[in-house]
Amino acid sequence: MEYRLDRNVHSLLDPRTKLLLLLTSSIFVVGNAGEKQMYVFYWILVFLPVVLLFAEKEWKAGLIAIVIYIGSYYAQMALQHDLTAVESALALMLYIITKILPTVILARYIVKTTKVSEFLTAMNRLRFSDKFTIPISVIFRFFPTVVEESRAINDAMRMRGIEMGAKKASEAVEYRMIPLIASCSIIGEELSAAAMTRGLDVGKNRSCIWIIKFRIPDYLVITLCFACFVWWIIGRFFV
Amino acid sequence: MICFDNVSFKYSKEQECLKNINLTVNDGDVILVCGPSGCGKSTLVRCVNGLIPHFYQGELTGKVTVNGTDISQTTLRKISRHVGTVFQNPRSQFFNVDTTSELAFGCENFGLSPDDIEQRINKTVNRHDLESLMGRSIFKLSGGEKQKIACASIAVEPVDVIILDEPSANLDYKGICELQKMLKAWIEERKTILIAEHRISYLLPFITGSVLMNSGEIVKEYSAEEFRSLSEEELHNLGLRAEMVQDPAEINDCTGEDSDKKDKLILTDMKYSYQKEPPVFDIPKMEIPEGEIVGIVGANGAGKSTFLRCLCGMERKCKADPKVKYESWNNKARRRKIYMVMQDVNHQLFTDSVLEEVMISQESENKEEALKILESLDLKEFAGKHPLALSGGQKQRVAVASAIASGRDIILFDEPTSGLDYYHMNQVADILKELKQMGKTVIIVTHDVELIKNACTYIIRFDEYSRS
Amino acid sequence: MEKNNRLNAKDLINVGIYTAICAVLCTAVAMTGVIPIMMVLLVVFVPIINGIPYMMFLTKVKKFGMITIMNVLLGAFMWLTGMSYYALVVGTITGLVAEFIYRSGDYKSKKLGIITYAVSGIYLWANYFGIFFNADAYFATRQNFGQDYIDSVTKLLPMWMCPVLLVVDIVCCIIGGWIGAKALKKHFEKAGIA
Repeated sequence: MEYRLDRNVHSLLDPRTKLLLLLTSSIFVVGNAGEKQMYVFYWILVFLPVVLLFAEKEWKAGLIAIVIYIGSYYAQMALQHDLTAVESALALMLYIITKILPTVILARYIVKTTKVSEFLTAMNRLRFSDKFTIPISVIFRFFPTVVEESRAINDAMRMRGIEMGAKKASEAVEYRMIPLIASCSIIGEELSAAAMTRGLDVGKNRSCIWIIKFRIPDYLVITLCFACFVWWIIGRFFV
Repeated sequence: MICFDNVSFKYSKEQECLKNINLTVNDGDVILVCGPSGCGKSTLVRCVNGLIPHFYQGELTGKVTVNGTDISQTTLRKISRHVGTVFQNPRSQFFNVDTTSELAFGCENFGLSPDDIEQRINKTVNRHDLESLMGRSIFKLSGGEKQKIACASIAVEPVDVIILDEPSANLDYKGICELQKMLKAWIEERKTILIAEHRISYLLPFITGSVLMNSGEIVKEYSAEEFRSLSEEELHNLGLRAEMVQDPAEINDCTGEDSDKKDKLILTDMKYSYQKEPPVFDIPKMEIPEGEIVGIVGANGAGKSTFLRCLCGMERKCKADPKVKYESWNNKARRRKIYMVMQDVNHQLFTDSVLEEVMISQESENKEEALKILESLDLKEFAGKHPLALSGGQKQRVAVASAIASGRDIILFDEPTSGLDYYHMNQVADILKELKQMGKTVIIVTHDVELIKNACTYIIRFDEYSRS
Repeated sequence: MEKNNRLNAKDLINVGIYTAICAVLCTAVAMTGVIPIMMVLLVVFVPIINGIPYMMFLTKVKKFGMITIMNVLLGAFMWLTGMSYYALVVGTITGLVAEFIYRSGDYKSKKLGIITYAVSGIYLWANYFGIFFNADAYFATRQNFGQDYIDSVTKLLPMWMCPVLLVVDIVCCIIGGWIGAKALKKHFEKAGIA
């Protein structure tokens, strides 16, 4: 069988739509703008990220997210009355989970399903400068590396038996931070060298092999997001 | 054509890394730049791909031209259209997260049309049999697979000069064979190739000439015939690795003489798997003789490194209690009794001086003893230095020093000689032998045939336990 | 050899890397923010922890723009993870001011580096604006914790705490920056990687 590149590989949404959805979600779910008036939109925005997970066939992650969400939602509702200090701390914790979880899932979805090159091109079409999009794509690429490195360092500390041996808290932090930053800075240097020998530069036109365009799901989500803003503005200024 | 015209270079303030280099490489040549570590071979190839002077700043005199263009007068972006580079470390040379985009990355940066790039990718993938690697996350590839993608992504680009900077450092036998195939294809396409390397045997069939360097100077230029006729001893004298391309699983001649009589570390029913996947390895029973230098060999990705991590108690999920002298050790006990020198030693050096590093490993801090250990490893002069300022081999010895200081009897090494030249490989072998003299059990995961022949007294073939 | 002051890919990759490190550390600390008192103490711990990577970052800064970009990205990160957009607005402005401060020392002075860190770190303080300036809206969404909780948070954060938190933020940044500068000297410079 001959291999043929399929340039039409894409996730359900276009990078631009993903960004708009993230923005909308952070305003209306995390920021809670509009409150009661936005009731219906609120719940759509809460569960949309799970739908996206299902679209990527991440059934298990999606179900776990729903269980955690519903669990903490009802738990904090049940805790509403006559709170002691401990209960109110617990309630707040659960409340924050219900607020943040949908956005966290959405952010994870974006990082997992957006290709670097797709992102750079889509943002370029929105006239975002390379000066912001290149660092952002490096952040995507680097999160797993930072986590990987800090795990390796943590392992090394456990193996050498100095996680307990550190006399002061400052030493415990120092022993973790120094190798982490040293190692990340070396990897970063090599990464930049490699990227630059492959022609990465700022402010130059680059092409993209992936076909980037709005598709039907994009139009649906974009309509939803605009509807949110319009409904909110109506409620705020005209009622 | 690549031309060096009386080129000298130094990174700021240090001593000169290149001294008066004059060299001409014709189109279609395959030139091996070799020499011991620190001889300046990497610096030399960096002058060609433009990293010097555009990325690594320093003092450059003389002129380097590629196809008539003066490298220092142009930009990295322009150079990158003609010169492609494969680096040593597969972990840090990818900008993308998925492999397909990584292949396209260079061409996208040049602004080639998507149709053109598509054709180039199709051609490369079919030619090099890469279909199974397409569309994968680079975080889930083995070292060998990553290096294959790195080579392929240069093959996609329309470059005519290809630089390889120690490409085999992290490769096993199979990976090297793949690299050879890639080289063969490039030679058919009449690319000009420049390789900095000290493992040379796998390159011998391909080269059209070789340049030997030492302390920043070109010592000698060889024709291909002259270079191929050098004997193993001559190569070793030049600081080069002479090992033949050989599958380490085929080595038979170094089982310890009296290992039957020794006490044994007995592992039973040890397995490990990531989440729901089938186990990476499954060991019904394995016996490791104590007081020997045990080499564990097997293909890249067979789970050898994971095995070491399990053995020293770092993987919580791995429940196996090996019996040692009829006493069974759980994960926590093993973390106290087994020491591992990691492949990336940077992760296990924490303090601001070599002496301190050794002392935090001691049960109770004892400066005199620590100095004694450093002396036995030739590290005394570095006692006050920062561990991260040392060279790779020295860092490794610091890690060994703290292993000795910790008083543990079992010491594990994960690929201790990747990227080391002949001299330093021998040094590692000597250290291993010294540890054996002290009565320690040394367990090494490696695919370095020379190291195995040189030091190992017992071999365990890991492939039988591996599910892949 | 790079004589012009245009930002190149290397600079932007450095910005990305250190932003990633700061964001990871920040998230690790912020996990504890669910306990009310920790919410207030974020302004203490985050600047101290981030001091080392930030000072290391400054050693890579040699051109105008890098500090501002990092601040904008960190501010956007704050916004998207549920703080308020004030961090983005304030972060952009303080980043720009910090940029000028660091440039005045020719991108070398460590003392100015610490001040740079203190100024750019003000965006952390801006995270609390929601509680101070928009308290009704802020608590309207938290009604169901009972009046006790609202009282306890309001008690913890009366209006006069607003300037106090700013001072705390700046002081902690200076401490963090100072620790960072010390770590640079003790480790990275000695090791030759700064």
